[in-house]
Amino acid sequence: MVEAYYITAAELAEKGFENTPDELMSSKHMIYSSPATLDFNSPGAKGFGVKRAGLAIPGSVMLLVAPGCCGRNTALLNELGYNERFFYLLLDDTDIVTGRHLTKIPKACKEVCDSLDYTPTAVMICITCVDALLGTDMERVCRKCEEATSVPTLPAYMYALTREKRLPPMAGIRKSVYGLLKPQKRRGDRCNILGYFSHLHDSCELYNLLKSVGVSTQELSRCDTIERYHELSSANFNLVINPEARYAAQDMEKRLGIPFIEINRFYRIDKIRNQYRLLGQALGVQFEDGKFYDAAKKSAEDLAAKHGTVRFAVGECVNADSFELALALTEYGHKVSEIYGTVGERNFFYIKKLAELSPDTRIFTNLSPTMLNYERKTEIDVTIGVDAGYYHPDLPNVPFNDEEQPFGYEGVSLLAEQLSKALEKEGK
Amino acid sequence: MKKLLRFISPLAPDDSGACSVLYELGGITVICDAGGCAGNVCGFDEPRWFTKKSALLSAGLRDMDAILGRDDRLVAKLARAQEQLGRAFTAVVGTPVPAVIATDYKAIERMAEKKTGVPCICVPCDGTKLYDKGEEDAYLALFRRFAQDKLPTEKGTAAVIGATPLNTGFAKADRITEVIKAEGFDEVKCIGLDSGLDEIKNISRFEKVFVTAPSGMKAGAYLKEKFSLDVTAHGCPIPKGYEDKLKALAPAEKTLIIHQQFTANAVRDIIGGGVCGTFFKLDESAAQAGDFHIADEEDFAQKAMGFERIIGDISLKRALPDFGGEWIDLPHFAVSGKMF
Repeated sequence: MVEAYYITAAELAEKGFENTPDELMSSKHMIYSSPATLDFNSPGAKGFGVKRAGLAIPGSVMLLVAPGCCGRNTALLNELGYNERFFYLLLDDTDIVTGRHLTKIPKACKEVCDSLDYTPTAVMICITCVDALLGTDMERVCRKCEEATSVPTLPAYMYALTREKRLPPMAGIRKSVYGLLKPQKRRGDRCNILGYFSHLHDSCELYNLLKSVGVSTQELSRCDTIERYHELSSANFNLVINPEARYAAQDMEKRLGIPFIEINRFYRIDKIRNQYRLLGQALGVQFEDGKFYDAAKKSAEDLAAKHGTVRFAVGECVNADSFELALALTEYGHKVSEIYGTVGERNFFYIKKLAELSPDTRIFTNLSPTMLNYERKTEIDVTIGVDAGYYHPDLPNVPFNDEEQPFGYEGVSLLAEQLSKALEKEGK
Repeated sequence: MKKLLRFISPLAPDDSGACSVLYELGGITVICDAGGCAGNVCGFDEPRWFTKKSALLSAGLRDMDAILGRDDRLVAKLARAQEQLGRAFTAVVGTPVPAVIATDYKAIERMAEKKTGVPCICVPCDGTKLYDKGEEDAYLALFRRFAQDKLPTEKGTAAVIGATPLNTGFAKADRITEVIKAEGFDEVKCIGLDSGLDEIKNISRFEKVFVTAPSGMKAGAYLKEKFSLDVTAHGCPIPKGYEDKLKALAPAEKTLIIHQQFTANAVRDIIGGGVCGTFFKLDESAAQAGDFHIADEEDFAQKAMGFERIIGDISLKRALPDFGGEWIDLPHFAVSGKMF
């Protein structure tokens, strides 16, 4: 029995991204669906998977067309009040081989719509790996459904098989949920924030900064009516705060003529400041972000002043890029003993930086079967992320995984406050 | 429309059932999927996932693996996992993806055994059937592969087949062993629940084998034929508190009990009457006149008409909006994911 696989930041940086060890690449080994990582390892599992995300359009319903096994965990969403919006057309063993179910979908759609005492704003047809393999033309099926019901119908592709492709399921569904928008006259004082299926914290400075230069913001998750949803296409530009929304933004640019600007979630305050400066330049304005910067800086300094050098384990089930967050914590003078994350081309930059500041930081992957044998062998005071909390149930944990999204300076302050509370509770 | 669910979420599928049987046996279980099925099993259908560790892995198939039928890669990954984890056997559980591409499970078994040096069994699930079918196939495959020799019978011992969380609502064997011991046995083992592969291998030592769910009946028949074991269907034990609650019920003329058949039978024995209805297998040898199988929501609505009281998982109530009688919740993990 081997120990849980890890590699230090220095070793990994020296190898380079092209020589990433097989154990860190999910396509090279069996995948351990660790209890720590269930909410992202399956595209329909928990949080905002394809199924829940597909219902982001207000007043919409979903018909899941799949073998029973694909819709099984949807019952989890019943507790969140979704049970009246989900319907299932179950496939049998003949369907999945012959594709005969495709002719039944319009009839099922009609029966669903007729059974409701209201007209849904849209029907999302969710299909899974079976139709990925059958090569189903879902756009055509959706058109047939529209003819049968007169209700707009959109595809939701829950193709776990294509998770590492150019258009993974969570990027595809982001495109779908903006699919009903129609071109209209754009308003120069409006922008959409694209990125997550829940909105930013109300107190996030991004709202204030944009408002201060005369720009109001719109977010899909704040659209409680279909009318408000349709106003999204009146925006002058889209602000993309999560790369998974890039494809949706590109589609909106093409279909609706709405250009987009992409920014990132950082926890290094100098990077946040620089990003706001660049965003201001792109918009032709200058953001007065001094007070927000000072508040975030003070939060980070207070954490260090109160608790000294804190030793962290950082997971990936967290509202952050685990490597960027680890780098930020290291730059604030703390020590990151372990990271549980997925190494990719995008975050390898942070690993190289981390290797300079904290070469001994151990990098694990949640998906390796060897994590079944994980035992703590480093010094850790507090863990960040649901997954990190799972590995160290005896240590204080800050899940930092709420649905409301932290962003910018406010994210830094929120994290510092929660860390401080967790450490104080444990008397550390 | 048949197979259209408007009120009920899909019931536990066959791959979940197979994994439930294999969970505690100490092997490597590979769900032959892209990740979603494993997420469903681990995140929803396996209550032990958060309390008992098991090498239950996803094959992590990608589209080109399926399109090109790259079984060699699957076996190579399995061999790598075996090198890392060193388990007594491996098992491959099917899902819709291998069903669509007609995976040759026999070939995978042979290739895997050659590569890993340990036994491999395959359970050819396809995700379209219900959990009891997966359990049935898994039990059979395990006994066929691992129960080889007839051992001397040990007096006062009993084994229980069918004791999975999906059937029983228990993640531990305590209550079941308590009930069976009270019937005069000194040692009781629930196959695959708080017990490992040794009890499968040594099944022929037991004086008595009780089957507490229809999913164990085929395995029971196999053991009876192969080892002449004394195999009997047995009502599936329910928690003591729940039993007391049922005993205190006022009599009702027309009571429908909905669960897996042997739990429904146990409830019927406690309350002294009623009709069993089940979405799952209905074993004729353990059924009474009037008991019935429920095919889908439409069928359920028709067959439930006329009953005054229903004892069944509360999540099913939505499917009977016009039902005006008394509903007593009887959790069924394979329906709602709720334990007792």
